[in-house]
Amino acid sequence: MLIFSVFKTLTDQQVTVELKNDLSITGVLKSVDQFLNIRLDSIKVLDEARHPHMMAVKNCFIRGSVVRYVQLPSEHVDTQLLEDATRRESLAAVKR
Amino acid sequence: MDPSSSIQEPFDLIRLSLSERVFVKLRGDRELTGILHAYDGHMNLIMSDVEETIMIVDVVDGAPAGQPATVNVAKRKMDMLFVRGDGVILVSPPSRT
Amino acid sequence: MSSLQGYVDRRVLLILQDGRVIVGVMVGFDQRSNVVLSDSKERIYSIDAGVEEIPLGLYLVKGDMIVLIGELDDAVDTAVDLGTIHAEPIPPIRY
Repeated sequence: MLIFSVFKTLTDQQVTVELKNDLSITGVLKSVDQFLNIRLDSIKVLDEARHPHMMAVKNCFIRGSVVRYVQLPSEHVDTQLLEDATRRESLAAVKR
Repeated sequence: MDPSSSIQEPFDLIRLSLSERVFVKLRGDRELTGILHAYDGHMNLIMSDVEETIMIVDVVDGAPAGQPATVNVAKRKMDMLFVRGDGVILVSPPSRT
Repeated sequence: MSSLQGYVDRRVLLILQDGRVIVGVMVGFDQRSNVVLSDSKERIYSIDAGVEEIPLGLYLVKGDMIVLIGELDDAVDTAVDLGTIHAEPIPPIRY
């Protein structure tokens, strides 16, 4: 839930999604859901010369389960807020 | 004992590593070091100032069994990174020297 | 919700877990991101030859198999002469 919220705060920011098939796609984050499926607009595939497969694709839906990394814009991530929220969530999990 | 500072379950070890530099081993012969800012029960992580190391093992064709394969190491740095938990093998707290 | 609603009736490109690339018109989808395509074709990429298109017709793709669904810009896609494109196939998903 916490990570889902973080992604929601990053909508309309540029991110780079690296997939488990080694494809890297940069684009504007349009939405995420609870499975961390991701929708990107204005996408650009890294090393397009080697990967021309998505030349004509302008926006895409990426299945959360195939994501390895997402590179985030650090200027839009409040790390103190993240750490506090993580501590709160982990303590709540223990009490349950 | 204060539950927020003691270690009772594995995730407590990770909680106490928040805002510290951690070492993460991933599937696919990858390792990360970086500062841990968030995690959840799937071991999804958010880290900053990340250095990734990828081990690329080249097995020499026709080499006798037991001959060590050459290992190439690729490194790269990333500012702020979300790591999907299904790739995480271990998270190790900072070494206190 | 990151829904597939916006892709219905659009020409889309699917990348699958095993690296296959399929294009077609999205007729429908469900909660598990199972997808039905009409007039679909598989695009086979190789280094030594241009892209080969294999017609598949009406096709149902299981959600579990899907890596990515992209909306095709028809103007760009039809302008490309696939026969001149030489590229490695997309690698399969590996953990």
